[in-house]
Amino acid sequence: MSLIVAEDLVKKYGRVVAVDGLYLNVEEGAITGLIGPNGAGKTTTIKIVLGLLKPDRGHVEVFGQEPWDNPYLRELVGVVHEKAYFPSYQKVLDYIRRVCRIFGIPEARAHEVLGLVGLEDAYDRQIKALSAGMLQRFAIAHAIIHEPKLIVADEMTANLDPEGRSLLLDLVVNINKKEKTTFLLSSHILPELSRVCDSVAIINRGKVYAAGKLSELYEKYATEIIRINVEKPEKLAAELEKLSYIENIKTDARGISVRTAKGEEENLYEDAAKLAKKAKTKILGIETGSASLEELYRLVVTNENKKV
Amino acid sequence: MEKTEHKGKPFLEIFASTLQEDYRFPILELFTFLYTLGTFIFVSFQTYGGVTNEQVAYTMVTSLMGFPIFIFIILIFKNIAYGLGNDLEKGTIQTFFSYPLKRRSILTAKLLSAIVVALLIFLGIQISALYLLAPDIISNYIGTVLLTYSANIGYSLFLAAVLLLMTLKVKRGGLALVFGIILYFAIGVVNGILTVIAFVTGSAWPIQIIAVINPALALQQHYFSTGLAGSWTPSFNEVLWYVGGAFALVAVMFSISYVYFCRRLSL
Repeated sequence: MSLIVAEDLVKKYGRVVAVDGLYLNVEEGAITGLIGPNGAGKTTTIKIVLGLLKPDRGHVEVFGQEPWDNPYLRELVGVVHEKAYFPSYQKVLDYIRRVCRIFGIPEARAHEVLGLVGLEDAYDRQIKALSAGMLQRFAIAHAIIHEPKLIVADEMTANLDPEGRSLLLDLVVNINKKEKTTFLLSSHILPELSRVCDSVAIINRGKVYAAGKLSELYEKYATEIIRINVEKPEKLAAELEKLSYIENIKTDARGISVRTAKGEEENLYEDAAKLAKKAKTKILGIETGSASLEELYRLVVTNENKKV
Repeated sequence: MEKTEHKGKPFLEIFASTLQEDYRFPILELFTFLYTLGTFIFVSFQTYGGVTNEQVAYTMVTSLMGFPIFIFIILIFKNIAYGLGNDLEKGTIQTFFSYPLKRRSILTAKLLSAIVVALLIFLGIQISALYLLAPDIISNYIGTVLLTYSANIGYSLFLAAVLLLMTLKVKRGGLALVFGIILYFAIGVVNGILTVIAFVTGSAWPIQIIAVINPALALQQHYFSTGLAGSWTPSFNEVLWYVGGAFALVAVMFSISYVYFCRRLSL
């Protein structure tokens, strides 16, 4: 089921066409990345999805409903804006408790989410006194507090240090695994998205150039990396490293990205299954992919620009 | 995690949040002090003219109101332009739009804090001062008192409604405040020009035009029909029409703001 369906969206700011006939589908349970350079139309698309902008043409539905001025959807959707602002003179804990009361959830949840994002020491700080990174964490806590079914995040890792970004992306994966929460993440930092996204929509000049599951896009545009989604990546990685034909192996919260010597891909499939059993872990899926999402993005954009 | 049995209270919480921002220390204390100071300074130095007790009541109210109503205008300008305007500029309104609440309810919460609370403080201090000064006159002529306040507040609300429209359009707190100040003085200049025309021509129509947005002039002419438009003495019913008309105009302008905020405002 698609939680977000956007069809033929057009949005202009005077002469500037920010979104130009955009189609987007975000499947339930997926972590979808909306990737593109600055000025591609990501933020405009997200604002239309969130009901903050009306498109000049086209149609968008979230959970099958129009997002404009729709309070029902707010219970189901959490939002992290590119630049988040909150009533600045209130204290961190006080405001998060207020948000609990807004959504009708126990105030104990406030402590829980602030702990998840690492703001336990900032309870009594006024929101205006938070650093940019802390404010971003606060925005994330604010987005997840009511356990929404869909989280839309625009440049969520902006202003965070590398450790913060890593923690946050792991949090995204964990929430997706545990709560089956759907994510739409917009970013121009492709290595980060490649770690967490199942699907991507590559957007440039207001259009989606390509969209779909990462594996399908890799298959279509490039085939060099094998992606193994596994329950315990570290354990399987430790076994795979012993194989002679493994050229490169990268582990993250979701799985392992493996580059093999040419022609050894089939061997890897067999060996991975055996070694997973040995490591007592379960393989959730194996996909082939390109060397990186950045390369995929470049291949897609180059390909589409050639058509034009 | 289980949700509580009761649904959330988004309207009350956003109203409470806005109150906390608009009247944080020392804003509430400062403006209350200015209202009180302005009221009792005028008490000390004014003598009350009028032939009838009704005219005395009218004069007492208008003399007490002079400085405090200016403070009231400053406070609502601050709350609308600097409060709501900054929320639009910085994006706090985007955050409110992520809560389970209709846009009109968000705007209502903001305006209740910006205008209604300021008005309640203003009226509370004013009417308390009046009861301290002359309880018999005020009790017997409470209708005159309320009509006088309504006529004067109508103009303040008109300014607030125009400022709100400007703020929603420009979405910049500082710029909206500048526009509001220009508007205030521009209307003053227009008032002055129309008053001069009334004086020169000896006819009442310029004052009648001003009275549409500032019905206090009609009330003044009703009680003391001298001066620049001495020929115009509106009846009590006419004054009520002017006051009602001014409030109707204010209601229309606020309605336009609501429609814009709910249907057109993009962030």
